[in-house]
Amino acid sequence: MFEPYLYSAPALLLVAATTLVPIVIGISYAFRNIMLLDPTSGGFVGLDNFRELLRDASFWNALKNTVVWTASCVGFQFLFGLILALMLNRPFPGRALIQATIFLPWAIPTFLVGMNWSWLLNPAIGPLPHWAYALGLMNAPDNILSDPDYALWGPIFAGIWWGTPFFAITLLAALQSIPREIYEAAEIDGAGGLERFRSITLPFLAPTMVITVLLRTIWVANSPELIVVMTKGGPADASQIVASYVFTQAYQGLNFGYASAVATALVLLLLIYAFLLIAIRQAMLGRR
Amino acid sequence: MASIDIKNVRKDFGPVSVLKGVDLAIASGEFAVLVGPSGCGKSTLLRLIAGLEDASSGEIHIGGRRVDDLPPRDRDIAMVFQSYALYPHMNVRDNMGYSLRLKRTPQARIAEIVGRAGAKLGLEALGERKPRELSGGQRQRVAMGRAIVRNPKAFLFDEPLSNLDARMREQMRFEIRKLHRDLGATSVYVTHDQIEAMTMADRIVAMNAGIIQQVGTPLELYDDPANVFVAGFIGSPAMNFLSGEARRGETGVALSVGGKAFCTLSQAVAVPEDGRVTIGIRPERIRIGVGAGQVVEAAADLVETTGAASVVHVDLAGQAMKIFTTERLQLTQGQRIPLAIDAKDVCLFDPAGGGRLR
Repeated sequence: MFEPYLYSAPALLLVAATTLVPIVIGISYAFRNIMLLDPTSGGFVGLDNFRELLRDASFWNALKNTVVWTASCVGFQFLFGLILALMLNRPFPGRALIQATIFLPWAIPTFLVGMNWSWLLNPAIGPLPHWAYALGLMNAPDNILSDPDYALWGPIFAGIWWGTPFFAITLLAALQSIPREIYEAAEIDGAGGLERFRSITLPFLAPTMVITVLLRTIWVANSPELIVVMTKGGPADASQIVASYVFTQAYQGLNFGYASAVATALVLLLLIYAFLLIAIRQAMLGRR
Repeated sequence: MASIDIKNVRKDFGPVSVLKGVDLAIASGEFAVLVGPSGCGKSTLLRLIAGLEDASSGEIHIGGRRVDDLPPRDRDIAMVFQSYALYPHMNVRDNMGYSLRLKRTPQARIAEIVGRAGAKLGLEALGERKPRELSGGQRQRVAMGRAIVRNPKAFLFDEPLSNLDARMREQMRFEIRKLHRDLGATSVYVTHDQIEAMTMADRIVAMNAGIIQQVGTPLELYDDPANVFVAGFIGSPAMNFLSGEARRGETGVALSVGGKAFCTLSQAVAVPEDGRVTIGIRPERIRIGVGAGQVVEAAADLVETTGAASVVHVDLAGQAMKIFTTERLQLTQGQRIPLAIDAKDVCLFDPAGGGRLR
């Protein structure tokens, strides 16, 4: 009666060793007091780290910023990606070249993207603040990265620029899988351009849209690189998201125990989000 | 219901000429079938009528109105596609009613029209189903229903039966014909299948290489083909072609194949100067055995039988020929058999241009 387990044992052992063990060890740090510069630390502290988390105004601020960051990044990436995909789906001279150019940002390492944009936004070397000032969008050509009210928008701009091609690529692939005859049938049936978009393109794209938005949401919420590179979460934690707060706690505060507790909280929140979405998807599939 | 007039229509895709000047008049209520091998331009011609492609030059009139500058939706036509092109996220009823909804027809009226079309096509029980829950034949019917509810001036069919199995195809062929009889609407039907063309058409338009080869009733094309292409394309098994010589004699034109007498035509025929001709004769017009006409001898090669009939492959002076017969024959390879040829069943073609010699 143990035989079936023996067959699946190699796979289970592999999953356990590569996935579960690191997770469990990582989560266990959240219940310990680990300060890198304090050799006496490392003891078990129970839920102390989590109690502190609930009282930590920086964490709650980072959580709020995470929502703004994720929603803005994903929302604009999706919108621009959809527009690009629709434009690239019709033939025009030079399409291949433009297509390649548009997909270029996706091939650039995030780290470089962050550096590039922080320079673009820096009035000493970059043109953007001067342009914004000339257009009357800013009162003075300042660096928004050092403005607590707008610092988060620097990484958001960079993130939109970097992530739009992802949506453009996936949505373009989905668009190209729509049979041309269906559009022709609708054209003969009397549907104009907008009506064809509404009654054919959108229903065809919906599954791809749902999946890519879900994936990107988790992905973007988990990605602190742009923020760490461009603002380090500053000024004064004004652009901190939860993921970058974990990084700051671990490598600037050197408080690994607390950083693990913050990370565990983020994982829990994303798990809840993922389960909700899976439930919604199941409900949608059931209805079809 | 309306006539369709096509005047000197050309279509070029870059340097490639797909339609090289097509003139065609389809009468109101007629069922016209465009037939030809793939790449002959028949689908392009249909798409030009529908407005899905623009003609490079020429004029298209539907019901006396010039339409080549109008978008498809203003041409008042309906089209049935090879892939059916049903809207996958709409159920059968919505698929059929979509065009009416776009015209802001009241709900009750849509339900009435769609219901009537559904009843005509036997789709009443399937109204709530999505296309993917239907069989090929049912999808085909929905596509037809979508065309019917619009009550268009003309129906266009683009190889609508090619995705069905043989039995279903036979049945739908019959149903489309019956539907046409009931509705009496002008129809243009594209197919590469000469059997569909023969069984369904009021008139066949045989096309090849962007040029209309012949227009006529199925039997006109069958009995009196204008050239080698039509003679070879229409009919199954296909017409036999033998290269032979023609010599004008006192009793008529004597034909020979490989130096042996084949038959003698009594009517006057314009024969090329060198006497070389292509002799065409349909497999079912050759009788095995000694008969009233000329008798030639051939060697049996192989017999294929379908039960109802057999095709006998024979060798006549080194050239392959088929004979279609309903007799059951036991022949061994190489066996000499006499063939009776009736001169009135023979068509002569010019071996150079492929045109009919009359």
